[in-house]
Amino acid sequence: MVTKATPADHTETLYSGLGRIINAEIFKLRKRPMTRILLVILAGIIIIVNLLLLAISKVTLPSPGEQIGSIQNLLGLPAAIPFALSLVSSFGSVLAVILIASSAGNEYNWRTIRTFIVSCESRFKFLTAKLISAGVFILIGMICGVAIGFIMSLITTAIGGYAFDFSFATGSYLWAQFLQFWRTLYVMLPFILLGFLMSIVGRSAMPGIATGIGVFFLESIITTFMRLAGGWIARIPDYLLTANVNALNALADLPRGFQGGFGGSSTQALPSPAHAYITLGIYSLVFLALGFYIFRKRDITG
Amino acid sequence: MAEIISRPDNQDNVVLRTVNLCKNFGKLEAVKNLNLELRRGEVFGFLGPNGAGKSTTVGMILGLIQPTSGSIELFGKKQESSRWSALRRIGAIIEEPAFYPYLSGWDNLNVLAKSIGGISENRIAEVLERVNLLDRAKDAYGRYSMGMKQRLGIASTLLRDPELIILDEPTNGLDPAGTREIRDLIPRLAHERRAILLCSHLLHEVELTCNRVAIIKQGTVIADAPLKELLSQGNQLQIRVDRMEETAEILKVLPWVTSLKKEGDYLVIGVPPNSGSSINRILAEKGIFASELIQRTSSLENVFLQLTGEENGN
Repeated sequence: MVTKATPADHTETLYSGLGRIINAEIFKLRKRPMTRILLVILAGIIIIVNLLLLAISKVTLPSPGEQIGSIQNLLGLPAAIPFALSLVSSFGSVLAVILIASSAGNEYNWRTIRTFIVSCESRFKFLTAKLISAGVFILIGMICGVAIGFIMSLITTAIGGYAFDFSFATGSYLWAQFLQFWRTLYVMLPFILLGFLMSIVGRSAMPGIATGIGVFFLESIITTFMRLAGGWIARIPDYLLTANVNALNALADLPRGFQGGFGGSSTQALPSPAHAYITLGIYSLVFLALGFYIFRKRDITG
Repeated sequence: MAEIISRPDNQDNVVLRTVNLCKNFGKLEAVKNLNLELRRGEVFGFLGPNGAGKSTTVGMILGLIQPTSGSIELFGKKQESSRWSALRRIGAIIEEPAFYPYLSGWDNLNVLAKSIGGISENRIAEVLERVNLLDRAKDAYGRYSMGMKQRLGIASTLLRDPELIILDEPTNGLDPAGTREIRDLIPRLAHERRAILLCSHLLHEVELTCNRVAIIKQGTVIADAPLKELLSQGNQLQIRVDRMEETAEILKVLPWVTSLKKEGDYLVIGVPPNSGSSINRILAEKGIFASELIQRTSSLENVFLQLTGEENGN
């Protein structure tokens, strides 16, 4: 019996067509081994960092540093979620850049871009579906990261012999963690979208991964030198990414010394949260708009 | 050889029409004033040397490449105004089959089916069966042989039951049996009232498969005609005479002699079909008697090489 294909009615709405492509993109990411590997890496980092901090907190030193108390607090249950989000914001950003850049860039590497573009209603929908599906997996990764961080906190609390006291879990605490979850995603966005943009510009996953991660690590080094220079140069970092990311990470309720994100807080004055939201938002929008513009305008050749 | 353009008058059933299509990449004119027509039931060979503009043309038809000027009509409508409604009626392999290496053949088609919409699992099974790949459908694409990849590519073009199929080198990497299967499949698809645009370097395959051929060189169509007509343009006569120089002088002024060259003891001339008797008579009237007069069977390869000037490695 011959089965006739009956492609969906072309009068369908924007959203129904987009839904199909998102479904296809999620299927691809779900089946891709790299997605699971990245999640395992994130889990591994959170587990290792927690165990290392536990080991450090248990070492008996002749003259313990000022931060040893902060480390012990960091392993406590109240800091479990903000600490996990702090790790997600730093290491998770790197993994998210790899996920999104390879999702977009490998379409060029594998030459599947042409096969699948002609199977999608529009380039806009194709790219939107890629972003949304990668976003879904990044959110899943963040939730897993928080869950693993909390479980590790339970384990380190048990191993460390600390008290299991859940009195901190008030409504306002949970609301603060909920807000910090979305703030963490927000601070990751510029790096994610930069990786996305560069994988489109470079027609490969590598430019996206290299640029996204490169900016993530190099910018903090460069801005340190800018701060040291003083004058108007010292104010430039306020309009770059790192200082604004740190400003929003500092809103997390982490022990002293860790407020500016994992690795310690900045000794410099950070921009205001409003400034940080606006600056990071502008960067994200510019990277996003450029990505869509270039993808739409450019010929897709071999 | 002069440009050969000959198209049927019947304008019905035209599924693809390009009008003065041009594409420039910077200063490079990749495609120049391309006018093509493709009808239902037709297997249309699109030939040309590497870099002639074939893939650029296919890219423009599929909306992957923006034309610099000119227009494309698909199924009677301007491409830019009805891109998706036209694309859903087209199946294409562009240059080579390209799928996700970590997905199985089945899953790759499943992803395509999800993107297109309205395609059942039965349809996926059916197209895989049609290209004899159903038993290996669950293997990862990355582990497929080149021939299996080509088969999957062809299966993907059939997924949406297309009215126009664009195949770029479909027999590339196939073994002789696989090549024959595809060669047999193409006319069957055309018989189902589909139009097939076949880009290939394997001229023998094109000769066996296509009923119309266009040859493109440096972005310009230099021949577009039914295969039989095109082959007749490549007819050659091989003549052996004693007075070769004198014979060449007589023949080269004849208006219907399209080419003339010496090959050892022979003169080889391009002539219309069934010209042997006329040539013999003209030479005899001048007192020259041919000891051998051989009609060379024309092949698409000869015609292609003559038209594209590739014969001498140009």
